[in-house]
Amino acid sequence: MSLFATRDLTVSFGGLTAVDRVGVTLEAGETLGLIGPNGSGKTTFFNAVTGLVPAAGEVTFRDRSLAGLEPHAICREGIARTFQSSRLCLGLSVFDNVLIGMRSQARSGLWDALFRRGRALADVRRSLAQAAHLLGLFNADLVARGFDPVGELPQIDRRRVEICRALAARPHLLLLDEPSAGMSPEETVELMKDLQVVRGEMPGLSIILIEHDMHVIEGVSRQVVAFNYGRKIAEGTFAEVARNDEVREAYLGRGSASRLPTPRPGSTVQE
Amino acid sequence: MSGAIAVWAVELGLFALVTAALLAERPFALGATAAAIALVVVLARAWPRGRDAVAAAFRGNRPAAFAGGAVLALALPFPLRASPYWTFIATMALVYVTIGHGLNLQLGTAGVINLAGAAFAGLGGYTVGLVTVRLGLPPSLALLAGPLVAVAVGALLFIPILKVRGHYLALVTIAFGFIFTILMNNLEFTGGPQGIKNIPALRPFGYAFTSAPRLLGMTLPYHANFYFAALAMAALVTGIAWRLHNSWVGLVLNTLRDDEIAAKCSGVPVARYKLLAFSLGNLAIGLGGAFYAVMVGFVSPPDFDFGYSLIMLSVVILGGLDSIPGVVLGACLLIPLPERFRMLHEYRLLLYGVAIILMLLFRPRGLWPAAVRRYGLREPAAAFGPDGPVANPATAGEAS
Repeated sequence: MSLFATRDLTVSFGGLTAVDRVGVTLEAGETLGLIGPNGSGKTTFFNAVTGLVPAAGEVTFRDRSLAGLEPHAICREGIARTFQSSRLCLGLSVFDNVLIGMRSQARSGLWDALFRRGRALADVRRSLAQAAHLLGLFNADLVARGFDPVGELPQIDRRRVEICRALAARPHLLLLDEPSAGMSPEETVELMKDLQVVRGEMPGLSIILIEHDMHVIEGVSRQVVAFNYGRKIAEGTFAEVARNDEVREAYLGRGSASRLPTPRPGSTVQE
Repeated sequence: MSGAIAVWAVELGLFALVTAALLAERPFALGATAAAIALVVVLARAWPRGRDAVAAAFRGNRPAAFAGGAVLALALPFPLRASPYWTFIATMALVYVTIGHGLNLQLGTAGVINLAGAAFAGLGGYTVGLVTVRLGLPPSLALLAGPLVAVAVGALLFIPILKVRGHYLALVTIAFGFIFTILMNNLEFTGGPQGIKNIPALRPFGYAFTSAPRLLGMTLPYHANFYFAALAMAALVTGIAWRLHNSWVGLVLNTLRDDEIAAKCSGVPVARYKLLAFSLGNLAIGLGGAFYAVMVGFVSPPDFDFGYSLIMLSVVILGGLDSIPGVVLGACLLIPLPERFRMLHEYRLLLYGVAIILMLLFRPRGLWPAAVRRYGLREPAAAFGPDGPVANPATAGEAS
């Protein structure tokens, strides 16, 4: 049984079918690249999996059905995500933004906050140590700025904080919604390096990555799924998908498919 | 030690200034006080080194500063003893501190807009009236029942509130506020426009709150009883608000205020936490209203109309949304100041309006903006804990 599988996952908004009977499977420790043109339903697929939009069909995760679960319950099952346009709390500190991801593992609640101050504080600080460690994996400077509002950080560091927040929930599956959006090619390379570090630290972690940049996908994921008009049009290794005619057509239009990068023969995939 | 003395000197100076500002009647005394206050303000602006030194002294001597502040707060009724009126106003400021913390938890911390603060205070106040006058129960018991009724009604109102956001949420709560005053005006058992009169005075342990206390050889007006009780109440609620803010609960509420979807996807049950913030807030607001009813001995619909909801809102916004000291400062400025400018009477709301506009222009985050949560740590690097950075704290944490 695979770690994560969808079967006939369908999301409709009125007459529009944004995600159409999609089936995707993923094993533990693997990275899956999700590609497709704008509006092909990639983000809606994430929203359906994380419970933000109602969907028909089946989602199974670690042998349990996620059907009908609320977003917060799905997070507690072990699926965390980032968003295409940043959803950080800009006024809150870097630490606070990461800490919130650890809320489900916290061992103190309202009662402790009011009447057992020492316990509550010790609990927060335990999480704070983990948050500092996570941030340090990406950029030691982020720890030094731990008490600064996130709004004062540059774009790439905000993206890092957002990935840290998702990782803070200690997920088994991480959904990254176009992490390189709005970043320069150099920053994208840097971020992908960070992701490899994370992969090394958490070997059991599975990732689904939405990405426009084919080179980025090639560097990080062995398996690729291509979407168009809400349907899965291709699946397989990067080389296979990049060679697929329907994919080339979806990306480049009819007849111009030759401009797509041809995969280098024997290109290594870091896993 | 010298730092503590400096802190106390500053506090004593402020205390003298405040009492002078409250009590000065003659034009000369009034002018001198105004000049002194203006001098302090100008000095604070023009002499940043002095200001920073004072701030550093306060930071370095927290316990001394708190102790000094507590002593002076307790001492306030003594210089005010000739004026029951100002003792009453000071008490009202403390009631608004209590209410302000409740509203701040809802609006500032959790982003649950509540424009019916006065109605929830009214629920507390009217419950006191009904429980004591109609049922004949002791007022101390009614003081507990009032906030609970506010919470219960708030929980009912929360069902429609949960479904709406932003402007619509504001409208729902405004409507609730109006429904409350209309109901109180028209219902038979709440006394209609006459309200409920003759709420019996507090008599905890046989001590009547209507008797003038003699302390340290001075006779204080009976209002001082309520002042001390309100001070205890406001201090308690401030302490609770502080602890809530600097904990997981405060962080969770801040997150769902800033981005509900991010909070959901981080494992936060948003509806449950909103209900928690709304209920705890109503508890404090209802407590303030109940205390008011016991103190004044009388409740009527105009005591809890929409204008008071706006005053409560102004206290929170002026002080600084989500800022605990801001609420205290906001209430202590906004409640006595209009009384000082009584010549403006009908235009009191205008004064609030002008104050809010000036605030939005010059200090959009409030007089005392909310500070970053530090969980008792000075340096970010201290977050790693006493052992410093470790290889993998996730597994280290599990071992302990």
